[in-house]
Amino acid sequence: MIDALAYVVVALAGVAVIWGLVTAAANKPPGKAQLLFAAGVEVVTVVQSIIAAVKLAAGFRPVEVATTIGYLIGIVILIPIAWVWANVERNRFSGVVLAVAALGVLAMTLRLLVLWTPAA
Amino acid sequence: MTGGPTQPTGSTVRKTNSGAGRALVAVYGIFAIAATARAGVQLITKFEQAPLAYLLSALAGLIYIVATITLARGTRASRRLALIAIIIELVGVVVVGTLSVVEPEAFPRATVWSVYGIGYGFVPLVLPILGLAWLWYTRPVTP
Repeated sequence: MIDALAYVVVALAGVAVIWGLVTAAANKPPGKAQLLFAAGVEVVTVVQSIIAAVKLAAGFRPVEVATTIGYLIGIVILIPIAWVWANVERNRFSGVVLAVAALGVLAMTLRLLVLWTPAA
Repeated sequence: MTGGPTQPTGSTVRKTNSGAGRALVAVYGIFAIAATARAGVQLITKFEQAPLAYLLSALAGLIYIVATITLARGTRASRRLALIAIIIELVGVVVVGTLSVVEPEAFPRATVWSVYGIGYGFVPLVLPILGLAWLWYTRPVTP
């Protein structure tokens, strides 16, 4: 984990949440730019998990190792699943689906920041 | 048993996996992943610390998985399973939530349902109510 990168993920995911809710409120399915943005959030999230995995492999030990690993893996599957689910039936709720996944990524990243403290 | 070709004609059939249901399934999916992963970690690494809490975590995860899949399938048969799962979910969050407030020492470690899901923004308490409301809203009209 790199704190600055984690905050970038939080910010990007936050934008994705709002964007999803805005298109839902406007009764529109997510547009191309929005879907690409979600993909971008996913890419940054994956990079974050890879960096954390490398740091773990290099010997960093957070207090709760298993939970941390679970979060690092779980966080990267949310947006891809939501992407597929949102595109099967495209309407305003597709945006809500993307927003829900992005909110999950946001919350999990904040939790990871807390988890990422070295074991005494 | 499975919805199939016996759809009533001339009426709008609302499926649990359509419209707002897709958003509901997304939220259930998140909780299925979160609760199951949490329970898995707890059961593997520190089961002996709080067996009851961790088994409840696992039960919660299982319930969320069943609710997610059955709501996502949206057939008549899966609706019944969804109803059962969501009722158990509601009872679970209310009972565990109340016990964790009244008798905290029984739940030394947090579960998704502790204090009515306070660790998850009380979504675990709201979710089964939304689930039941959605099942009611999409109930099949008698042909």
